[in-house]
Amino acid sequence: MMMSCRNIELGGTSVLDLMPCGCSCSSSPTSRRILFGNRSKTIGRRSYGAGNMVFLRRDSGSCRAIPAKPKESSLVNGLGEDKTVMINLRQEPRKPISLENLFEVVADDLQSLNDNLLSIVGAENPVLTSAAEQIFSAGGKRMRPGLVFLVSQATADLAGLKELTVEHRRLAEIIEMIHTASLIHDDVLDESDMRRGKETVHELFGTRVAVLAGDFMFAQASWYLANLENLEVIKLISQVIKDFASGEIKQASSLFDFDVKLDDYLLKSYYKTASLVAASTKGAAIFSRVESEVAEQMYQFGKNLGLSFQVVDDILDFTQSSEQLGKPAANDLAKGNITAPVIFALENEPRLREIIESEFCEPGSLEEAIEMVRSGGGIKRAQELAKEKAELALKNLDCLPRSGFRSALEDMVMFNLERID
Amino acid sequence: MMTSCRNIDLGTSVLDLISCGCGRRQFPKTVCKIGVTRSYGGGGNLLFIRRDVGRSCKAVPTKPKEISLVNGIGEAAKTVSFDLRQESSSKQPISLVNLFGVVADDLQTLNDNLLSIVGAENPVLISAAEQIFGAGGKRMRPGLVFLVSRATAELAGLKELTMEHRRLGEIIEMIHTASLIHDDVLDESDMRRGKETVHELFGTRVAVLAGDFMFAQASWYLANLENLEVIKLISQVIKDFASGEIKQASSLFDCDVTLEDYLLKSYYKTASLVAASTKGAAIFSRVDTDVTEQMYEFGKNLGLSFQVVDDILDFTQSSEQLGKPAGSDLAKGNLTAPVIFALEKEPRLREIIESEFCEEGSLEEGIELVREGGGIRRAQELAREKADDALKNLQCLPQSGFRLALEEMVMFNLERID
Repeated sequence: MMMSCRNIELGGTSVLDLMPCGCSCSSSPTSRRILFGNRSKTIGRRSYGAGNMVFLRRDSGSCRAIPAKPKESSLVNGLGEDKTVMINLRQEPRKPISLENLFEVVADDLQSLNDNLLSIVGAENPVLTSAAEQIFSAGGKRMRPGLVFLVSQATADLAGLKELTVEHRRLAEIIEMIHTASLIHDDVLDESDMRRGKETVHELFGTRVAVLAGDFMFAQASWYLANLENLEVIKLISQVIKDFASGEIKQASSLFDFDVKLDDYLLKSYYKTASLVAASTKGAAIFSRVESEVAEQMYQFGKNLGLSFQVVDDILDFTQSSEQLGKPAANDLAKGNITAPVIFALENEPRLREIIESEFCEPGSLEEAIEMVRSGGGIKRAQELAKEKAELALKNLDCLPRSGFRSALEDMVMFNLERID
Repeated sequence: MMTSCRNIDLGTSVLDLISCGCGRRQFPKTVCKIGVTRSYGGGGNLLFIRRDVGRSCKAVPTKPKEISLVNGIGEAAKTVSFDLRQESSSKQPISLVNLFGVVADDLQTLNDNLLSIVGAENPVLISAAEQIFGAGGKRMRPGLVFLVSRATAELAGLKELTMEHRRLGEIIEMIHTASLIHDDVLDESDMRRGKETVHELFGTRVAVLAGDFMFAQASWYLANLENLEVIKLISQVIKDFASGEIKQASSLFDCDVTLEDYLLKSYYKTASLVAASTKGAAIFSRVDTDVTEQMYEFGKNLGLSFQVVDDILDFTQSSEQLGKPAGSDLAKGNLTAPVIFALEKEPRLREIIESEFCEEGSLEEGIELVREGGGIRRAQELAREKADDALKNLQCLPQSGFRLALEEMVMFNLERID
């Protein structure tokens, strides 16, 4: 059932006509996309003068219409418009936020990114093209580049920037290449054969192609990075690449080690996940030329979001099925990778320690262990940890002016948590 | 048989009798060290270089006097030739150990730093690092960095190697080593320098991880040198490495490969890093850009010459000498200079290669055809051509023991195929 939004007066200089925001249309993601996506393109972009509109649905049963790109005048002033109108809807079942929606406002940027990535990687060799397609098209969320674009836009206000710069775009490509290269090599190191529901690159093309494709992408990323000629960002990203390697080593050398502490786990998660996210958000702020306190807050935001994200991933490994995960469930535990839910449960369940020590040699012991993680409160306490990091991330956003982009960043944090609700 | 050298007047210092030990073939290190002594006052290290020609021996000061350094003018090499008694006709080749004698301390420090950088993280990595670092690597690239640093130092009035020079040497050796480890995974080689490769001994996973770790460390140290020109220079090399591997992998057993393709691939895989080593050293010596460009060309020509020689040796040496199976390039379908030249003459060779050596004895036949078809000879000419270019590139440097050592590097490389 469609519901019209009333006229909305949004400060300055434009008046919006009645438009269906389609909040109650829940039939399929496609239709939602049409309403939020294509239609927001036609309605939002062209006929409303004000730029893209982002419709965000919330639990609380209401819908907010927020301008995604504040008026020109606001940009120059450095102040974002903050007028939202609450619209009451009929009671609906919850609609989770989707990344697609969140990234709608940077959809064109992400599309260019996709095209550029495929051409950078594929230009050299047809085998690499196939490998690149295998990994790039395998449902990647483009979360990191999305963050780069959103933070770029959200900080742009502060610096009076109107458009994404070439540096912003390049940064996003570099980050996605590093991320993808690390996935390809990680799958070789973990001997995984599935990712995102498709075969991994080394499963399909062999270890040699996987090693080469990863090396090639790291090399391309390094070269583009050097040619950005920004020493601060060069050092920032080089630190990440070093952290990746340290994280892999840390993980590889503590498999089946039940004495691993929460701090070890958080450090390893920082190395393997949060470091890159933090560098994405901070790098975007650096290229927006904002002050260093803001850049530092963006770093902390990325770090806390990244840690929250990793904890959620680790919870899902226990709570989702193989189909949902796109790879075997409880994979981490089976390989001896002890994550937050397990670390918490180990405090309560001595039997769990025994089983892990035995490296699941007995049939049924893995299932028993999974059950003990659940009954030992491991999942619950891990959820608390994820929420704690999410709260910190939200606080880090306080330094940003209110805008649709800042809201989208807040929704990123919430979206992540909703995965485990 | 020992021969004493007479008193040598070298500008402002007088040297006592030193035994240069030319007749002692089996202890090249000792010979160098005897020259390299502190008891000779301000003269610094002496380098004894033996030559084929007339079996004479040159004593050359490697580090010109302080005064010369400040003036920017090196002492013209005052050398004294000694006639030795007729020695047996076996040659006394230049050895890298001798050449690098003058930078031996620098290389030792490098070795220690590398082991600690790589090993600090994890015991398994230490073992992998020792396997590859301890396996007889020549440290040619860092040696070049140090020699070029010192050879260019004069021009800029520099007296000592800087921390940046040392770091550059370490970065370069880490990149080189990481690429070897990954190359061995890509080529599925089980032997290198007479020892098992890292992945043969520790598995593919450790090899991939060790290589990634070393690349990552190198990138981080590079970034923290905070020199954009060098950062871009070395990043280009890392990109070239990957391009070279891809180029090679996609042209295996391809008999239509041209000499230009081969030279480009050799540039990507070998010469690019050598050129970046020599140019980077010059950059940190803060010399003029024409000199750094000449150093780049020197490194590039030396690197190409080196690769051609390597490719010749794959045909002419035995497995024991190589430390890995002989003819392995050809066996894997990697067509190098000797093969490319021979293919111009021997149609049968093309057939065999296209068959990918499926028939018994066809590899041996292929190797024989390369020899008969003049492939080795023409490749030797190519190596010499690049070597001559490299020597010309050194002319911008003041005469010194270090410049001489660089010239000797070029000759040393060629001697491997004499």
